[in-house]
Formats: sequence, structure tokens, C-alpha cells
Amino acid sequence: MRMGFVIARGVIAAVTVSVAAGCTVSSASPYFGAVDPPEGQQLRYISGAEPESLDPPQSSGQPEARIQFAFFDGLTDFHPRTSQPIPSMAERWEALRNNTEYVFHLRENLRWSNGRPITANDFVYSLRRALTPELGSRSAYMAYDIEYAQAFNEGGAFVRNKATGAFLADSESPDHRLVRPGQSTVTSNQELVPVKAEDIGVEAVDDRTLRIRLMRPIPFLAGLLTHQFFRPVPRDAIERYGDAWTRPGNIVTSGPFTLQTWRPYDRIVGVRNPYFWDADRVKLDRITFYPIEEQTTMMNLYKAGEVDAVLNHTPPAAWVDSLRGKKDYVDMPEAAIEFYTFNTKKPPMNDVRVRKAFNAAVDKAALAHFKRTAKPLTAFTPEGIFPGYPQPKGDPFDPARAKKLLVEAGYGNSRGEFDPSKFPLVNVELSYNTGENNKAIAEFVQAQWRQNLGLVISIKNIEWRTYMDVKSKLEYKGMGRMGWIGDYMDPFSFLALYSTPGGDNGTGWFDRKYVALLDAANREADPQKRYEMLAAAEKVILDNQPIIPLMTMATNFVKKPYVKGMFGNPQDLYSWKFVYIEHDRSKWDVEDPDPVTR
Amino acid sequence: MFRFVLRRLIITVPMVFVVVSLTWGLIRLAPGTFYSQERPIPAAVIQNIRAKYGLDQPWYVQYGKVIANTARGDFGISLRYLGQPVNEILWTALPVSATLGLLAYLLALAVGVVSGTIAALRQNSGVDYSSMAAAMVGISVPNFVLGPLLVLLFSLTLFWLPPARWEGFSVNLIMPVLTLAAVYMAYIARLTRAGMLEVLRSNYVRTARAKGLTDRQVLVRHALRGGLLPVLSFSGPALAYLVTGTVVVERIFALPGLGNYFINANLNRDEPLIIGIVAFLSILILVFNLLVDVAYGFIDPRVRY
Repeated sequence: MRMGFVIARGVIAAVTVSVAAGCTVSSASPYFGAVDPPEGQQLRYISGAEPESLDPPQSSGQPEARIQFAFFDGLTDFHPRTSQPIPSMAERWEALRNNTEYVFHLRENLRWSNGRPITANDFVYSLRRALTPELGSRSAYMAYDIEYAQAFNEGGAFVRNKATGAFLADSESPDHRLVRPGQSTVTSNQELVPVKAEDIGVEAVDDRTLRIRLMRPIPFLAGLLTHQFFRPVPRDAIERYGDAWTRPGNIVTSGPFTLQTWRPYDRIVGVRNPYFWDADRVKLDRITFYPIEEQTTMMNLYKAGEVDAVLNHTPPAAWVDSLRGKKDYVDMPEAAIEFYTFNTKKPPMNDVRVRKAFNAAVDKAALAHFKRTAKPLTAFTPEGIFPGYPQPKGDPFDPARAKKLLVEAGYGNSRGEFDPSKFPLVNVELSYNTGENNKAIAEFVQAQWRQNLGLVISIKNIEWRTYMDVKSKLEYKGMGRMGWIGDYMDPFSFLALYSTPGGDNGTGWFDRKYVALLDAANREADPQKRYEMLAAAEKVILDNQPIIPLMTMATNFVKKPYVKGMFGNPQDLYSWKFVYIEHDRSKWDVEDPDPVTR
Repeated sequence: MFRFVLRRLIITVPMVFVVVSLTWGLIRLAPGTFYSQERPIPAAVIQNIRAKYGLDQPWYVQYGKVIANTARGDFGISLRYLGQPVNEILWTALPVSATLGLLAYLLALAVGVVSGTIAALRQNSGVDYSSMAAAMVGISVPNFVLGPLLVLLFSLTLFWLPPARWEGFSVNLIMPVLTLAAVYMAYIARLTRAGMLEVLRSNYVRTARAKGLTDRQVLVRHALRGGLLPVLSFSGPALAYLVTGTVVVERIFALPGLGNYFINANLNRDEPLIIGIVAFLSILILVFNLLVDVAYGFIDPRVRY
């Protein structure tokens, strides 16, 4: 059918285009292509895929986040260089009761782009709306640590004594006992009371004070709150326009810019918001986002000087060596990892010795060298991202030990050597979601196993959404590819991945001891002690080896030398109020001044 | 004639519904959903999403809704692009694809017909060989190679043209139109040449010559009408394809046309958008084919309805 034909062509194009124009890096200039700044203060930025929505809690991807940050501010923002949380709409906050309660003090000059004041009530409204089941937000889990947020979002209920009208207490939750939908465990003299939006632990103490109560201790709440899910939205506009509130003309914003134009697959234009609380700092008069997905097209536009910066991971791998010498190339460690999961529910990967053997047979240093921009990883959290975190070391590359482990697992011959013919190859393959980079890595690892174990593992590419399905239902055999980007700057953002049982973590591995270690760590008040406890939990993952860690990823993108205040940071997110165009050529190649205190 | 057109138009209706039903069934067969993502989604949130979009209803209710929507010509709201009506997406993206496609078609027609005719008139001459060689190259070089080569030459080496992006009716269109037209230009040139060679040897052209008409009159009044029939048959589907589905060129040149939506709607399992685009495409193809059949009646005196 036609549909298939067109799709096939699209895929071929995506592959071939990067080959066809891959030879255009010239070496004469210290920069990649034209370096004429645009007139005045405007930034033209390529933001990646067309955004699903500009409604902050209703989207989950980074392409959306980068655009939304131009229009919506949060209680906290992130430091443009380190990604650590910094005060934004909240000028300060206090953590109370062992990190289970926070009080945020709002600035006094907060206004929406229509001039109306932003109060603590706007935050309460926005969080309740974001968690409403009818909104169906896929990021709702971000807020599940807030008191009764999960129960409200899932349609849970409290239990009340019919006679006395008193709620039943519980040790698991702050005070009331919770019943999840479908779990009916009440006796005849009890009744279920559905959890309402008003029960969520967010409260406007007064116009400028917001209290947030949590289900469990969350030391990294300030970092979590930088996420777009928590950014307040304008009640008036939403009630008046419904789903269409994010259209130009309807939208009311709180960030450095207001939306002027939005033409899907073409451009999104923001212009200065005079009511933004930090408007004095904002230098850009105009910011244009171009949603483009084709890497070569982006690089062409950049080279021709039609855009000033592009999103992360844009330069095709083959260009990296020639781009490295250019002054407009940015390459920094990223809070993201690449790894393979084992399906620990199916033999032979239900045997930890086999898992350890497959891990030890992969030379990660060689892989990182092959990838050009990444760093080798043996543990589960990204390396060099969390200062002071005593990251445990995973098993090193050791083919001899790998073979020994396989012999122990019962795949040896009579002389006690590993015998590849005994290994059940039919039950093992390496699946990955379709993509050039994923394929290259899979082929590399496949070659490693062949070389070091004598095993030819077949590799299989699966289209993205099908792959997600196969992965979560544990329908794959052997190994599967996965990438993870931290939601906030804390090792917990990675470690939490295996804190839930069931198919969601993609491995089938779940250990209550591990969860207990994480919980204990988050109750710890001393940050360094907490890090040590988290590291102990990470060690449990490495001991059980439900995964093969591969690499700590790196941000890599290009930005013109005149774009200042935009840094490669661990989260690949930019706070646009710090970005400006430097027209003075003498300041182009010098280190940017500290963006926050400037 | 009128009855013929009417009959064909009436047949269009059940055909569109068959296409929509098949598409709907195929989407159901594809694994994964529009809300699948790398981050785990709690079961309750999935429930919330399914309830919001009516996916928790029985299949016949969902199917009935799709058919009712199609009948009303309103394809509903996109699942991927929150709150954006499918019809609005179609009407915003169509002008871009249509501008590109029509320009490419006109260019292909002009160059193809002229060079094909000249090649036929001067059969086995240098002109014939060189234009047919050029056409062979045009057919063989795929647009995802031609496009980047043009960009490399005109944007990154000579700095004459911008490398990509939609700026309305502007110089930005030159390279995309050329890229898109190349293959069609080549096909039309070859079809014209073949058609003309056959017609020039036919009896009615000999008769026209015998009447004492000039070469020019023979060519324009008699030969071209017959010689262009293959081009005409080719034009229906070609035009429908050009106006609606220029995926590769749209991606290379970052143009906000229908092609991007078509690919991404499928990858995103965006059911209303897929069905909207497929229904729209099938209507266009049916209509263009009808137009071609009607045009036959005017150009070829042998055709009667």
C-alpha cells in the first residue's frame, strides 16, 4: 500500500541524507560555517521534534521542555552551567520535618503576561489540574511523592468508619489509610471516600507562601520542581479556551517570553514578556524555535548561518572528529546513560552468572572510543555528574572471567573449558529500537561477544512503539537496548528505575532490600551520608547485574560564538533568560561570565 | 458524460469508506500505542488516558465513531498534537504541499513535454540521445541524493540559496521544486517521446501531412493530442502524489507540509490523523483519476462516454 511505500522512502531518506552531505566540514575557519550575528537581540534555535503541546504538564519530552521554559517559569529554575536548582519564582524555601515538608516563599512581583498577579493559589490550582485523572498527563508520576497526589491521580480512596466518621490511620501514608482502585478491603462498618484534589498536599498559606507536604522524604525536591510538570499555568485562559488555551492569542505565560506565532512543523516565535519578574535580566527580544528532525538539514541551516544554535546530539557521529577542532562545538558529560537490560525472567538470563559473563565480555572503553563523544560506564548512574557521589565500580572487562562464569553456569565441556556450542543461542538475541546510532552500538557489542566468547548473538531492530511494548511486557529474549536521562540532578533519578516491580523496569528484576536501602537513604538528613547509602543501593544493582552498563552520554551540539549564556550542561536544558547575542567580536572566544550573578 | 462523472463520483463514497475501514483495522494491528514512552506510565495513568480518548469503549463504538466522523468530514482531534483538530492540521499543511507539488508538476510538464517532443522529432540525433540520457539520470538519481547535492552546491558552496525552510512563495522553493520535479520531468520526457514516436508514424498524421498542413500544424493540432495521452494517464496519480505526499523533500528542506504529518502520524499511532490523511489522500487520488478520464474525452476524439 501507499502508506508503506511512503514510510519506506522516509526511512531511506533519513539514513542516506546524512551520508550524502557528510563531507561538507571545511577546515579553514575556526568556526563551522558562517558567523554573522543576526540583527539586535534574537536567537534562532532548532528544537527538534514538533512539540506535542505547549501545556507544561501535558508533555514529557525534552523538545517540549526546551520550548516551554521560554514561556513558563517555575518555583525553581536550574543553573545554566551545572543544572543545580536555583531560586526563581520562589525566592527562598525551607525543608521541614526531615525533608517531608517544604515551605516556598514567592517573590512579590510575580505576574502573568496579561499583568495579573501570580499567587500561591495559582500553584495550588496548577498542581491539582496537572494531577486530574481526566487530563491524562503521562508525567503525573513526577508528582507522586507529594501527599496523596498518586492516590488522587489513580482514583484511590480513604477508608472512613461509618459510625464515628473518623478516617483510618496508616503507617505507610502520612495519616489516612489509602485504598487503590480495585482493592476493596473494607468491612461493613467502613466506607470508602474517594481522594479529592483538595486532599493533595499543596496549600496556599497566604498569597506568597506555598506549603508542599510529601509522602516520603525527598531531599531533592527543589531540583524536581524545575521540571515543566510543576510550572504554573493560567487558570483564566484554561477555563476560557479549554485545550486551545496554548494557541497564540489565547495563551498567557509566566516566563521570559510570550508566544507570538506557532506554525506547526515550521516555527514557534516568542517575544519579550514585560511582566516577567526577572525581565531586567532578559536580553533577547525575540526567540524562534524551529522544529526540525533531520540532522543534516539542521547542520546545513547552521552552517549557512540561518540558525544560531541547534539542539543536543545533532552533529552526525561521522562529523564529530572534524567538528572537534571548531570553536563552536560543545561537548560535555550528560546526565544520561546508555545500557542494555536483561530479561531476567527467561533462561538463560535468569542466571546471574550468565548475566555477569555477558557484561564482562564487553570492552566498554573500546565502545566509548568508537562512539567518540561518550565515556565508558561500568556502574548504573552516569559518571562525573553528581559531585561527591561515591559511585561504586561495576565489573571490569575480563573475557577470561566471563568464560569461567559461563562454565560455572553449566556451559563447559569435559575439560572444563567454555563450549559455545552448548550455549542456548536460540534463546538469546539483542533487540533495539530502530535508529542508526543504536544499530552501530548493537553491532559493536555483537562483535565483542563473538570475539570474546565465540557466541554470535543475533541483533534485531524493532520500531519504537512496538519496542516499548515488547520491553514493558518482557516479551524480548536475552538483551534489550535502553537509554535513560535524569529527570532531576540526583542519582535517585536513575536508581528509582528499579524501585518498582512488574514489567515497567524492563528487566523483571526487583528486590525489596534494594527499595528499603533507597528509602532509608532518602530519610537521611546529611547529604553526604545519603549519597553513601544510595551508592550502597547502586552496588546491589551491580551485584545482581540485571543490566549491562555501556556509556555515560555526552551533550554535543553546535552554537555560534556570538551566542552567550548557553552552556552544555548535564541536563541539556537551557534557561533562556540567561542567553544573549554578543555583537562584540573580541568577547566571542572568551569564557562566559558567571550567568547567575552577572 | 454527465452520467459517467456522476457514477464515478458515487463510487468514490464507498471506496473511501473501505479505505478508512482498512486503515482503522491496520492501526489496531500495529503494536504500541500513541502514549507508549520510555518512562514507565503507571497503570492508573494509562487508564486515565484511555478514558480521555474513549479507547476503553468496545471496538464497534470506536469504529462507529470513526465512520461517523468520516461521514461528516470532521476527523476529530489529534492524539499526538493535543487539542489540534485534524481538519485544521490538514488545511494548514495542504497549501505547502500543494504549492510545492503543483510547481514541481508544471516544471516537469513543461520541460518533459518539450524535450520529449524534440527528441521524438529528431529521433536518433544527438539531441535525442542527450535528452534521453539526462532523463535516465533523472529517473535513477533518487531525490534524497539529488536534494542534498543541490544544497551542497547552491547553499554551502555558492551561498546563493537558503538550505531549507518554508518562507512562503520565495526563493526557498527553488531547490525543493527542482528536487521533486526531476523524476517526473524524466518520466514525462520519456513518455512523451514514446507517445510521439508512435503517433508520428500513424495514419492520421500521414493524412494530415497529405492534406498539405505545415509541420507545425501537424504537430500542434494532431500529433501532440495523441502523443500526450500516456502523459495524461500518468498525470492523475502523479499529481495526487505530488500535491499530498512529498515526504522526503519536505524532510530534507524542513517544509511544514503533509508529508511530515503522514510519517509521524504513523510512527506516533495518531489514529485520527492517520485516518484523516488517508481518507483525504484517497479522495484526492480518486478525483484526480476521474479528472484524467474526463480529460481523455476532450483530447482523444476516439474516446466516447
